[in-house]
Amino acid sequence: MPQNTGLLNVKRRNDVVVEKSTQQNTTEEALSERTGESELPLSFAGTSAILPSPEIRVFAQSNSSRDLRKAMVSDSIISASIPIASKEFGKKKRANRTAKLKQCKLDARREQWLSQVKNKCFKEDVTESGGDRHSMRSKIIHRFKNLEIRRSNEEENDISVHHDCDFESPANSPTSVGYDLGNNFVGSSSCSNSSSSFGGGGCCSGSVTEEEEGGGGGDDHCLDDWEAAADALAAITVDKQPQKHCTESSAERNVAVQLVNPIGSSNGGNVAKEKVGTTAVNNRAWKSDDAFRPRSLPNLSKQRCFPMTTMKHCVRVLNPTVSVPKSCPICCEDLDLTDSRFLPCSCGFRLCLFCHKRILEEDGRCPGCRKPYDSNPIRLARSCSMFSRT
Amino acid sequence: MQASRARLFKEYKEVQREKSADPDIQLVCDDSNIFKWTALIKGPSETPYEGGVFQLVFAVPEQYPLQPPQVRFLTKIFHPNVHFKTGEICLDILKNAWSPAWTLQSVCRAIIALMAHPEPDSPLNCDSGNLLRSGDVRGYQSMARMYTRLAASPKIG
Repeated sequence: MPQNTGLLNVKRRNDVVVEKSTQQNTTEEALSERTGESELPLSFAGTSAILPSPEIRVFAQSNSSRDLRKAMVSDSIISASIPIASKEFGKKKRANRTAKLKQCKLDARREQWLSQVKNKCFKEDVTESGGDRHSMRSKIIHRFKNLEIRRSNEEENDISVHHDCDFESPANSPTSVGYDLGNNFVGSSSCSNSSSSFGGGGCCSGSVTEEEEGGGGGDDHCLDDWEAAADALAAITVDKQPQKHCTESSAERNVAVQLVNPIGSSNGGNVAKEKVGTTAVNNRAWKSDDAFRPRSLPNLSKQRCFPMTTMKHCVRVLNPTVSVPKSCPICCEDLDLTDSRFLPCSCGFRLCLFCHKRILEEDGRCPGCRKPYDSNPIRLARSCSMFSRT
Repeated sequence: MQASRARLFKEYKEVQREKSADPDIQLVCDDSNIFKWTALIKGPSETPYEGGVFQLVFAVPEQYPLQPPQVRFLTKIFHPNVHFKTGEICLDILKNAWSPAWTLQSVCRAIIALMAHPEPDSPLNCDSGNLLRSGDVRGYQSMARMYTRLAASPKIG
C-alpha cells in the first residue's frame, strides 16, 4: 500500500527534519548576520533567476512548507487530469481565502524578521529605513534560506527534482485541495482520536500553526484543519493507522510530519498524488454547499458522518403516518410508537396493545374482521418499533 | 370505565361534528349521563316505516366498547325482530357479532338496515314474523305502515 510506504517515510524522516530545522535555525542566525553586508542582494540576484517564481520561492522555506505542498499537489492534480471544473466556485472562494492567508503569513513573517533583525544587527538600519527595505531584506534572507534548503535537500535523493517540477507547474496558485491534504494528518488524527472531541484536535492544530507562523492567521488554519478533518472522515479511512500514529506523537512531531510530507521523498509525492485522486472523487461532503458552508464545519461533518441521522431519516420514512390512525379506534387513546407498529391481525385493523389485551381476555376476535386472533399475533413491525426506540 | 368514557366522549364529539352528515340519524347524549343516549332515526324509504321517526334509547355498559350497547325502541314498531312491547331489538351485532370497532352511530345505521331487511327466521315479534314467513308480505307491510302512522308519525304522535 502506498499509504504505508508514506508512513514509513514520515517515520524515517522525522528526525531528519528536526535536524533540518535546527540547521535552519543556525543558518538563520548566520544569515541575519551576513545580510548586513550590502553586496548580498546583488550576489543573490543571479541565483534567484534560476527559480521561476519568486513568490513561491519565498514560501519554499521549510516553515511554510505547506504552500510548497499546495503547489505540488496542484501540479499533481493537473497531471492526473482530475475534473476540477465543477469545483471552480468553491475553489475560487478558497483560493481567495488562501491568498489572504498568504498575505497574512507574509506580514507576520515580515514582522518576525523585522523584530529579529532589530534585535541582532540592524538597529541603525531600522531607525533609518522604512518597511520596504526591511521586507526586501527579509526576502533576501528567505531566498538564502531557500537555497540552503535546496542544498540540504540535494544531499538526499531526488527531492530537488520534485521542487523544480513543482515550481514550474502551471498551477502555481494554491488550490484548496492540496492545502487540505497537507493538513490531513492533523485534522484526521483528531477525528480518529474521538469523534466528539473536535476541540482537542483544533487546539493541536492551532499550536502547530503557532509554531509555524508565529500566530499569523491561526484561526484560518484551524478552520482549514476542520475542513481537512471532514475530508479525512469522508475519504481517508485507509489512513487510520498513520493517523493514530500522529495522535500518539507530540505536537512537535506533527509539525515534523507536516514538514516532511511536502518536502519529502518521491514516494511521499506519490502518496500525495494518490490522496488527491481519492479525495477529489470522494470529498463531496462540502462540495455541494461549499458556498453556504457555515464556519462550524465540525458539526456539519459530524452530522454527515454520523450514521444516526440517516437512521432517523429512515425511521421517519418508515413511519406510515397516513395509514395508521392517530388514536386507537377502540379506546380513542393516542397510539404511541409501539402501538402504531402493532399489527395484530392480517386484516390490517390496528388497535392499542391495551385494548388488544382486553379483547383477548374476552372473546379474542379482531374488531375489524371478527376473526379470532392468533395466539401469536403477527407483529411485523415489532422489530421496527424497537429499532426506532433505540 | 375510563376507556368507555373517553370513547363515548370521542363519539359525542364526532356526532357533534358530523351532525348533518347523516340526516336519517339524530343521536343525542343525555345531559347528565354519558352512558345514556337517545337516537331519532327516520324510517327508510320504500319500506312500511317510511315517513316515521323512531326513537331509540341506548344504555351503554361500562365495558363499552368491548360490550355492545343495549338498544331498544321507545317508539312502537311492528317489525319481526323488534319486541312489540319492550322494544328490544334482535340484532346479531348487538349480541354476539358485536365488534368494539362499532359505534353508536353505526348501530343506528344497522338498525335502519334491519328495518329495511327484516329477518323473520329469528323473530321477537312472532306475529310479524309469521306474516312474513307465510309469505304475506302485503299483510306485514300494511300492519307495519299502520303502526308507523299510529306511533311514529310526528303529526299524529
